[in-house]
Amino acid sequence: MSAALAALLDPARTTADGPVAGYVGADVPVELLTAAGYHPVRLSGSPHEDASDGIGYLGGGLDPAACSVLTRLLHGGYGPLDVLVVSRDCEASLRLFYVLRELARVEPAVALPPLHLIDVLHLPHRTTTRYVRAKVRGLRGWLQQRCGHTVSGDELAAAVAAHDRVRGLLRAVGELRGQRRLTGTEALGVVAATTRLPVHRAEELLTALVAELPGRDPRPGHPVYLTGSSHDCPDVYTALEDAGLLIVGEDHDRGDLLSTMDVGVPAGAADVDALDLAVAERYQHNGPSAPRAAIAERAAHTAAALRGRGAAGLLSYVREHDDGPPWDFPAQRDAAGVPAAIVERQAYGLIDPSELDRALSALGVPAVVA
Amino acid sequence: MSAPTPRLPSAAAATAHQRQWFADLHRDHTPGDPLALVNADAPQEVFRAMGIPYVVNQWWASIVAAKRRTQDHLARLRERGYPDYTEQYSSTALGSAFDTDPDSAPWGGLPTPSLVLAETTGDASRKIFDVWGAQPGVTFYPLESAAADTVPERWWELMPHRWEEAVGTDRLDLMVGELEGLIRFLEATTGRRFSEQRFTEVMALVNEQEEWNRRTRDLIAAARPCPIAVTDSIPAVMIPQWHRGTVWARDAARRLHDEVADRVRAGAAVCPDERVRLMWVGRGLWFDLDFYRRFQDRYGAVFVWSMYLAIAADGYIRHVDPDSGDPLRALAARFAAFSDQLYTPPWSAEWYVKEARTHGVHGVVHLVSDDARGSWATTRALRAAGVPVLELHADNVDARRSDPEHLDGTVGRWLEAEVLPRTDG
Repeated sequence: MSAALAALLDPARTTADGPVAGYVGADVPVELLTAAGYHPVRLSGSPHEDASDGIGYLGGGLDPAACSVLTRLLHGGYGPLDVLVVSRDCEASLRLFYVLRELARVEPAVALPPLHLIDVLHLPHRTTTRYVRAKVRGLRGWLQQRCGHTVSGDELAAAVAAHDRVRGLLRAVGELRGQRRLTGTEALGVVAATTRLPVHRAEELLTALVAELPGRDPRPGHPVYLTGSSHDCPDVYTALEDAGLLIVGEDHDRGDLLSTMDVGVPAGAADVDALDLAVAERYQHNGPSAPRAAIAERAAHTAAALRGRGAAGLLSYVREHDDGPPWDFPAQRDAAGVPAAIVERQAYGLIDPSELDRALSALGVPAVVA
Repeated sequence: MSAPTPRLPSAAAATAHQRQWFADLHRDHTPGDPLALVNADAPQEVFRAMGIPYVVNQWWASIVAAKRRTQDHLARLRERGYPDYTEQYSSTALGSAFDTDPDSAPWGGLPTPSLVLAETTGDASRKIFDVWGAQPGVTFYPLESAAADTVPERWWELMPHRWEEAVGTDRLDLMVGELEGLIRFLEATTGRRFSEQRFTEVMALVNEQEEWNRRTRDLIAAARPCPIAVTDSIPAVMIPQWHRGTVWARDAARRLHDEVADRVRAGAAVCPDERVRLMWVGRGLWFDLDFYRRFQDRYGAVFVWSMYLAIAADGYIRHVDPDSGDPLRALAARFAAFSDQLYTPPWSAEWYVKEARTHGVHGVVHLVSDDARGSWATTRALRAAGVPVLELHADNVDARRSDPEHLDGTVGRWLEAEVLPRTDG
């Protein structure tokens, strides 16, 4: 394994770089957190920990990954967080925000960081852009109050440029996945590392990785493109690749979808209002994610990305209570042009062995699970 | 079971009106003519003002459920590869689009709409309408649904006049933009005109109608014993609600009020031996409406509250300053945060507590569906206010997890263990 890959996949090497801003969801503009002097850390759940406290607050009808995040927050599982910013990238994130806000109101003894919702919407309309720009501006104002200084245009431009460079490097890593230089499990770990490392450290390691990977032998496995739920832990990827698949791409926001678009530093970079607008348009139009995009848009994206990576099959993995992806699948299947299969209502971090066998058969891969 | 009180005439009249209206729609509608299918929390007033007929998605689902046809409809989705286990209340009507034998469908079947309108709430709702939009001759027009970082708690005091303060300027600006886009789209695609004068009339009629509902709600809250069954108040409120903005609907709301007032004066009782006053939090249990009466004989337990009258009373009224106000902004204020009133704390939780107190309920049955809305905040707030709460886990249209024996046993045991010991009964 390359040195850069080993460093990226080792969570123990993550150390806080200044005050920490925890965030939930890919719709949080991390540029603003960095510009305000925070170290952004995306919060993930774990299927290996008891999440009953989170379920108690969020109910049994919500994505268990969100229940796990809430449980970890309640138990201090992320260490000290100076602020917490939640996006509305999916219904589970929004409901998580509402419960946190209500907990802060009615159970003040529960220790929670200062909390803010960033309501990024996604319809491709000018009216939506104006709304999202107001929300970006509101987040910047809130962060300025918390950190005690005004974010300058230069600071925001520098943060935008740094995060754009990381996105560009992630896209380069994605191209190398098309050449089979990384397993899907490794790629998932690389993307996760960039959401918890300080941005300059992520950039260093990704630069090294992109230089090292072309010399690596291709990874084995039947190449498939993964759609459906987002994955905040490697368990399902590992199970799929242990079964003989090689996940060469995915359309969720903890994988390829995180880096499909840049913000871009506009002309007159020091103008913070222009930067707010650039950030707003990037987050409004980034995607298309399963919870927020139209079925047709998803199908077109999935088919194009699948072809771009040379995948021989399409697999949709859907976690229980993740309501969007199963509606996408029929159109994705029709557009894919390769064998396709779906496994639905799966427990967090798991794939039912018989469902896996059925999917492998549909994809034309010999079953390896008894 | 005690002899039921005679059906409220306004409830029977509303149901008859709806049947006639739907029959007329079948008779008069030519495929391809403008016809909308809209979500319950969509700004139907625009269609009313432009003379474009519309069917409410969730109303149709309630009819299908009441006829015990939901499973047929969900099976059609499953056959086409779509899930039959998410947002069934919103997806049932889509099953009608795939009906190969509409003549056997409830009420002659759902005519194919030319336009479907919904807000982009949740993760699955807009997908359901995407599928609608992929059907021949159907266009899906999505509306944004925004969320607020902070909100004032006692929204029901602000909404009638100070709605800008309650909902927030950013959300209202967005929704006004959305409505202007919708109106332009309808003008361009249907050839119908949007008259500002007509729209102002519609908005005024809606406010009058909901003001009658508010008076009715206040009468029922104060009355002992409860004068009407929720199974009467629901159609008597909701059918006019789907026709709001018409003179008929305004007058139907006034008729309901007058009948309730008469019953209160006469001391009429849904259950003469009323010992326990119950509140039903959640959507109506459409496939088993008898449920609401089954606890009267044995326990003297009466459901005195459902959200349908109460949200009509508190959730719709948006007055406009006659000199400087914009009726379109008032309509935006009606819907930019509509579901927050019912499902988002602190608004929802504090409102249910307020309603529980004003209605003097002894307990709350809280329907908790297997969806994202969650129940903790509402249940916590009610219990903190000293009100016993039963969380009843079921879906309001999909009966697969909700056999009557189970529901009755659960409610009965809760009444015996938690509610009756706290009442004089």
